[in-house]
Amino acid sequence: MTAIAARLTPPWWLRSNAGLIGVLVLIGAVSIVGATVSDRFLTLGNLLNVYEQTTDLALVSIGQTLTILSGGIDLSVGSLISLTSCLTSGLINGNPDRVLPVVAGVLALGTLVGMINAALVVALRVHPLIVTLGMGAILQGVTLLYALGPVGRVPRSFNVLAYGRIAGIPIGATVALTLCILIALLLRYLPLGRQIYALGDDANSARLVGLRRTRILMFVYGASGFCCAATGLYLAARFGVGQPYTGVNYTLASITPVVLGGTLLSGGRGGVIGTMFGAFLIALLNNLLNFMDVSKHYQLVAQAVIIILAVSIYVERRRME
Amino acid sequence: MLTLKGISRNFPGVRALSGVNLEVRRGEIHGLLGENGAGKSTLIKIVAGALAPDEGEISFDDRPVSWSSPREAKLAGVHVVYQEFALFPQLSVAENIYLGNERRNALGLVDLRRTRRDASELMKKLGVSLDPRASVASLSVADQQMVEIARAMTHNVRLLILDEPTAVIAGREVALLFDRLRRLRNAGVSVLFISHRLDEIFALCDRVTILKDGRLVGTQDTADVTRERLITMMVGRDLGDLFPPRSAATRTDQPVLRTDTISIGDRVRDVSIELHAGEIVALAGMVGAGRSDLALGLFGAVPISSGTLHIAGKRFAAMSPARAIGLGMGLVTEDRKSQGLAMLLDIAANMTGPALGEVTRHGMIDRERETSIAAREIERYRIACRGPATPVATMSGGNQQKVVIARWARLCRSVLILDEPTRGVDVGAKAEIYRIMRELADSGLAILMISSELTEVLGMADRVIVMREGRITGELPGREATEESIMHLATSERAA
Repeated sequence: MTAIAARLTPPWWLRSNAGLIGVLVLIGAVSIVGATVSDRFLTLGNLLNVYEQTTDLALVSIGQTLTILSGGIDLSVGSLISLTSCLTSGLINGNPDRVLPVVAGVLALGTLVGMINAALVVALRVHPLIVTLGMGAILQGVTLLYALGPVGRVPRSFNVLAYGRIAGIPIGATVALTLCILIALLLRYLPLGRQIYALGDDANSARLVGLRRTRILMFVYGASGFCCAATGLYLAARFGVGQPYTGVNYTLASITPVVLGGTLLSGGRGGVIGTMFGAFLIALLNNLLNFMDVSKHYQLVAQAVIIILAVSIYVERRRME
Repeated sequence: MLTLKGISRNFPGVRALSGVNLEVRRGEIHGLLGENGAGKSTLIKIVAGALAPDEGEISFDDRPVSWSSPREAKLAGVHVVYQEFALFPQLSVAENIYLGNERRNALGLVDLRRTRRDASELMKKLGVSLDPRASVASLSVADQQMVEIARAMTHNVRLLILDEPTAVIAGREVALLFDRLRRLRNAGVSVLFISHRLDEIFALCDRVTILKDGRLVGTQDTADVTRERLITMMVGRDLGDLFPPRSAATRTDQPVLRTDTISIGDRVRDVSIELHAGEIVALAGMVGAGRSDLALGLFGAVPISSGTLHIAGKRFAAMSPARAIGLGMGLVTEDRKSQGLAMLLDIAANMTGPALGEVTRHGMIDRERETSIAAREIERYRIACRGPATPVATMSGGNQQKVVIARWARLCRSVLILDEPTRGVDVGAKAEIYRIMRELADSGLAILMISSELTEVLGMADRVIVMREGRITGELPGREATEESIMHLATSERAA
């Protein structure tokens, strides 16, 4: 009986998020430590704050999950975030009437940049690592041509994206969560979603089966660009102003939640729900360290420890499979 | 329905096909026969749109076509089941079957229930019973093959190409496969069936085309041709010339390597073998029987889960490649590109790669010395190249293989393990490799040769050890072994 069960693939939500258990255990562990540190840690108010602080990392990492699932990676995310956040505040420049067209334009631009990444990967037959690394440098240059320091400002109405709450629920984080659920459904129910996994699983087989790699990559990198633009909008809303280096740390940071959420770095296995939890775990950890009065610098160290620990656990689990 | 005219294709250092013609009619099973390296695989890759020919014309349904990707060929109705399947191990059976051709509901979303149901029905039609939810990684090779064929059926398949489908399955499974292929033919599908086994060609095919060394030898009706005629067409010479004579009793009594009930995961189970200096032992069996795993285990490249190794009188419970090399062992892996050679480096660098100490002086590599070593080996093994500085990527498969073997032969003092030493190698280089192997054995090495080619096993081995499903199922003296006796040990169904 168990032998038969072992031959079956696990249910989709478990299979596409094999690492989900790992993140949840770590979230549980951090919560328990938090509860012993302060009785305010596990209150609804604090957890909603953590949820709110998940927004930016969740947004970038959702897009990054797609590129990694397809067997690639997007290293242009940091610069694209910087560029989009500068453009947002610079172009709106305090004028509420410009909010909608600029938001639409920035999202379109992000998507376009992502699709250019995909087009270069396909046309030049260069690994996405290199193409997006180069694209990142170009975008950072463009950003600095546009603004050498903080640029523009956004009207109060636009701040809602970062600070607004409806019935106590943060708006920005909920937008990220909604996007995450939409992409999770897409990965499961659209043929395209299935094909992203297949391409990451075995690119050569995918070619022999006749999958259209160009189309898949266009979507994947386009989506990543879209997510970066969304992050740029969010950061402009949060700081009220665009800064040319605001995105720098997101390039590598965006990979952490993906890996924590159980997505294989080599692609073909994982999913965005794990990533969402991964981003939440990092926000929760930073929150805990704040409670413990640990400086920002040690927070980076703690993140590093967590990610190396988590990955080694996954490797061990996979070995046992 | 498919006509090829004057197809040629070159690879660096090799002319894989030259001026080949082929015609496959509607609703026939057409055999493609040839030895390894005859160009069969290259030819079907061209038909499938996975490779472009350098010269020649292809027409399908009386229209000239030039497919630039497998996708285009597939849309026209050409479907290939490659020897190394194009499957996605992490996806389920149903998902694999409908990949790229998903079952959708009215909203255009993937209809999971219908995917599973249709997959079940399709497999029922093919006479297989597989759980559509099972992951492909958990299936037997024969079942994986059925998933590939089922996938072909979901497209409007007009021409089904199977690349050596019987290399990985046996006995009853072969009979089932043939039955299914005949059913497809009767439904009007053309089948191009690649094999180097004559019995299968006669049992299944209406006509057969023979390739040799990248050239067309001829096309025959199987009804009008004899077995002997086909052999002559395929080999073009007497098989006896290929293999060097076995030497008289160079073998020592004390084993140089002995294993005591070693297991490696569940891929190798309780294997006890002995290797003696001066002999060539063939390890025969089907693909996936655990032979390569055993080789990697002996060399320490994968950990042994239980049992012990005895090498040169010393006992080891664990082995590592560094220690194995220290003990004078060598391993020529199955896949020389990913595990054997640094393709971009030259012959000299590859030759000294695993033992740089020998050519290092004052902490730096002595290039002159390296070059002179390489030059000596090139001469000794008759490696065709432009000299020690030739990058190996530009050489033919046979010569690359000679570089790997020469390298290990130099370093090796006790046991040399060769995994499929003549795969992808042309006949001429094959004979050379066989000669080198025999020389090495005569000079006192114990040689373990893993091979899926029975002619090679029969022609070379002093002893034949047969594996099936991770276990040793028997041992035969090389002179007495026959194709039948080996196949029986390699495939016999578990005691009913």
